[in-house]
Amino acid sequence: MKTLYMVSYLMFIISLASIAYALIFNPPSWMVYGISIVFIPLAILSFGLISMAKIKKEEEDERRDEPFIGY
Amino acid sequence: MNLMANILLNVIIAFLVGSLLFGYQRKIMARIQTRPGPPIIQHLLHTLKFYIKESTFPKTAAMPFYVAIASMLCAIWVSAVIVGPVIEGSLLLIFAIYALHKIVEHNAGSSSGSPYGKLSCVRAVFSAAAEVPLFAVLVIIYLKTGTMVIGEIINYQTINGPLIYAIPLAAAMFFVLILSKAPYSPFAITKGKDIISGYETEHFGVLRGYLMISESIAWYMLLWVFLTVFIGGLSPIGYLIGMVAISTVVAFINATTPILNPNHSIMMQVTFAFIGIVGSIILILI
Repeated sequence: MKTLYMVSYLMFIISLASIAYALIFNPPSWMVYGISIVFIPLAILSFGLISMAKIKKEEEDERRDEPFIGY
Repeated sequence: MNLMANILLNVIIAFLVGSLLFGYQRKIMARIQTRPGPPIIQHLLHTLKFYIKESTFPKTAAMPFYVAIASMLCAIWVSAVIVGPVIEGSLLLIFAIYALHKIVEHNAGSSSGSPYGKLSCVRAVFSAAAEVPLFAVLVIIYLKTGTMVIGEIINYQTINGPLIYAIPLAAAMFFVLILSKAPYSPFAITKGKDIISGYETEHFGVLRGYLMISESIAWYMLLWVFLTVFIGGLSPIGYLIGMVAISTVVAFINATTPILNPNHSIMMQVTFAFIGIVGSIILILI
């Protein structure tokens, strides 16, 4: 889980930086389209992975085996 | 306006309006069924709620595909926002995005490892056989206007009047397509309650919220394309009124019609597509 959070933070920072770059420096259109299509979804996903509630260590296996509890 | 700011603004509007329209639809359906129903902002609140829910990835899931497919759904509908309201590009790209949406439904179901997801995955392929012909409405639009570019279709309608009067059967076909993407629709066989939540069954917690964001954008975009292509370029208020009107009609249909058996759903859509294509061509020739 720790790796997941680290990767999520990294993805979130990279996404926000790319979006900020396109906002401030006005790169060519094709580059803005690429940034939008890749980094807007990535920013939304990584924000979710960061903001989701943490699982208690002792319950982690149980959750993985019984995924329906997650509803 | 800066291009990136324009895209961001349109994506946020699509998400918020799409979410509220879904909530509005549930409210109308509830009132028809003499229930008070949830507040209109319920869909939006659900989406946000899923973002702070505890999430894990089931051991049956095919990682990282299980997460990547949810990202793909978001990416394709962000692309649709760019092709649609931002650059008013080609309808063929919207068609490609819709076809990709069907592939995402298929793969989201298969990647989770859930039997319900797998059933939904099969139904997604099944329903694509009917929904893709419905999207053939684009050919009718091309035959009538001589272009596939949304901006040029808007100009055509400014001179010749709304296409909904010229090719009403094509508009009806597109409406059936919109209807099939609505929750609780008689054609929503990929998310039928007989298979729990279909391809979304094992995408819970944050991934469910993520899928709901994409679906809200998708709903907004489908309504936007319908209004733009068949009525013409409208003011923001015009779009809002049009979207609310279509959502109301869809809610009435969904509240009073049970979900169809997959075979019946496909046959009915194929029949609509056949009547729409043949009828429209006859109307154009006359």
